[in-house]
Amino acid sequence: MISARTILLASHGTAGARAAEKVALDICADGGRIHQLVVVPDLWKGMLGDDWLNNAAVHIRFGRYVENQLQREIAEHAAVVEAEATRRRLAYSCEIRLGKPAESLAAVAAAGGHDLIVVGSPRPKGAPGLRSRLATELLVRTLKVPLLVVPHPDR
Amino acid sequence: MVYTRKSPALFIIGIILLIHGFLLAGGYLAGMVKYLGLARATGEMITLSYVFGAIGVVIGLWHWFGSHKEGSLDYYVSTVAGGAFILIIAMFVKWYLAPWVAVLSRAVGPIAGSAAKPTYLHTVLGLNYIVLGIVAGMITVNVFKIPDWAHNGVRLSRLGLKTGVILLGTLYSLGELARLGQLSVIMIGVFVLGSAWLVLLIGGWRKISNSMGGVLAAGVGVCGVSAAVAAAPVVKARSDEIAYTIGTILVFGVICMFIFPVIGHALDMSYVQFGAWAGTGILNSAQVAGAALAYQPTGALETLKVGEIFNITRVLFLPIIVMWLAIWYVRREAAAGGAKVEQVDTTRVIFEKFPVFVLGFILMFALASTGVFSKPMISHFRDWLTWLFAFGLTGLGMQITFAAMRQAGGEPLVIGSVVGVLKAVLSLIIVLLFVRETI
Repeated sequence: MISARTILLASHGTAGARAAEKVALDICADGGRIHQLVVVPDLWKGMLGDDWLNNAAVHIRFGRYVENQLQREIAEHAAVVEAEATRRRLAYSCEIRLGKPAESLAAVAAAGGHDLIVVGSPRPKGAPGLRSRLATELLVRTLKVPLLVVPHPDR
Repeated sequence: MVYTRKSPALFIIGIILLIHGFLLAGGYLAGMVKYLGLARATGEMITLSYVFGAIGVVIGLWHWFGSHKEGSLDYYVSTVAGGAFILIIAMFVKWYLAPWVAVLSRAVGPIAGSAAKPTYLHTVLGLNYIVLGIVAGMITVNVFKIPDWAHNGVRLSRLGLKTGVILLGTLYSLGELARLGQLSVIMIGVFVLGSAWLVLLIGGWRKISNSMGGVLAAGVGVCGVSAAVAAAPVVKARSDEIAYTIGTILVFGVICMFIFPVIGHALDMSYVQFGAWAGTGILNSAQVAGAALAYQPTGALETLKVGEIFNITRVLFLPIIVMWLAIWYVRREAAAGGAKVEQVDTTRVIFEKFPVFVLGFILMFALASTGVFSKPMISHFRDWLTWLFAFGLTGLGMQITFAAMRQAGGEPLVIGSVVGVLKAVLSLIIVLLFVRETI
């Protein structure tokens, strides 16, 4: 059975990510630490699209709303993982980054301090969710620690 | 924060434009001018190249070597680089790419029409400087990325479009505006309210959340992304609901911009009929202008005049619809016994969402009605506004990312497609039956 003391968990609340969370919590050694990385995909930068009718006040309100909404959704999700980690007597921390998932994960991994990286696998075709997939090839080329890809529960 | 990037980019753009102007003025590009049929545009090409080249060089030197401090001056001057970036692409498309596509299309030969009035492929597909400009913008952002030094100025495209609409006010007569106003209020009223209501109805059947129903009804019903952006905070939409809705509207808008002109030509619609159809049937307001100018890129611009009146009517409906959806959302959530929902400040919604540039349009129309502008001046305004729309739409193309479009999905894709197609088809039938061929 795989076991690690400090796990970097990339998770953002989808079914595949939740499967990765469960495995990460299961294999984390007693007294170990889970560091959860939530990447807000940079597709959000383009979400104003080609809107030109609204004024700057509406754009600012929309930007703040989306930012707060994403933070709220991430906080709700992180609270669930933290509660489970605490129940299992594991240390827990969470980090949020804006960018491309693979590049952000590679950057956090490069900073060191983790024995294992756990991610979910891409969801099956047609499954609901935002189209922002982890470029696993880019990731495996750069990582210096083992990577565990957990199968999607619908597979 | 200091916005100006210490970069030679703007200076280089200025130099390129000055060299371009010099080559044209000196006759070094005569062969190309003849091949592309640009003889009549040469004067404009030389003047604009020199004017914007000089501006680019002067401000470019300031960007490159100046000392920049935080403040309003830095913010506004920093936008010039992005504006020049859009402009040089729009110029390339208008002066070289679009004429070249037309030359190639004519070389293929007519695909329809008669010997006296042949129809070529580029006309049917609307492949003129407007559509090609939007496509060039989309390619720029999705393939090459917007350079850092241009980021801040790319947003100037919105100012370009709004100024274009304000200037458009000078082209209407009182009679035209009255007739078009009546027509647009009736059509937009019926189709905006009808499609928003239909989205909520189908959403109820498919048991989508109230927040998703609200943001989708605004987007599909009123004016696309602009309405979705305005409504999302009011109906407390979740992040995925916003992404699905905006992705769906962007995909639908881009498809419509290409398909509408083809259908318009196939049905031999008049400029007025096409403007009314595009103004009603295309979900996204930016693509209304795009399709209208794709159908009639030069001349009297009747299609744009009609399409923009419909656009303005839509945007005037926006605060009302957003307020209605906000009240609808609060009542639905309260009835469902959900968490306490914040009451809507209707006054703030109306004031915040009111499109101020429409006042500029009305002012220019009022001034033109007094006869203060001479005919040659109005002719100049017409030329300027085609540039403003070319600039604005090329810049807006730079803000349509494939990453955002790829989010089209979920219930918004299903419901949005059904209601969007229905709106396009029904408005086409109504326009063909009831809208006369002239204003």
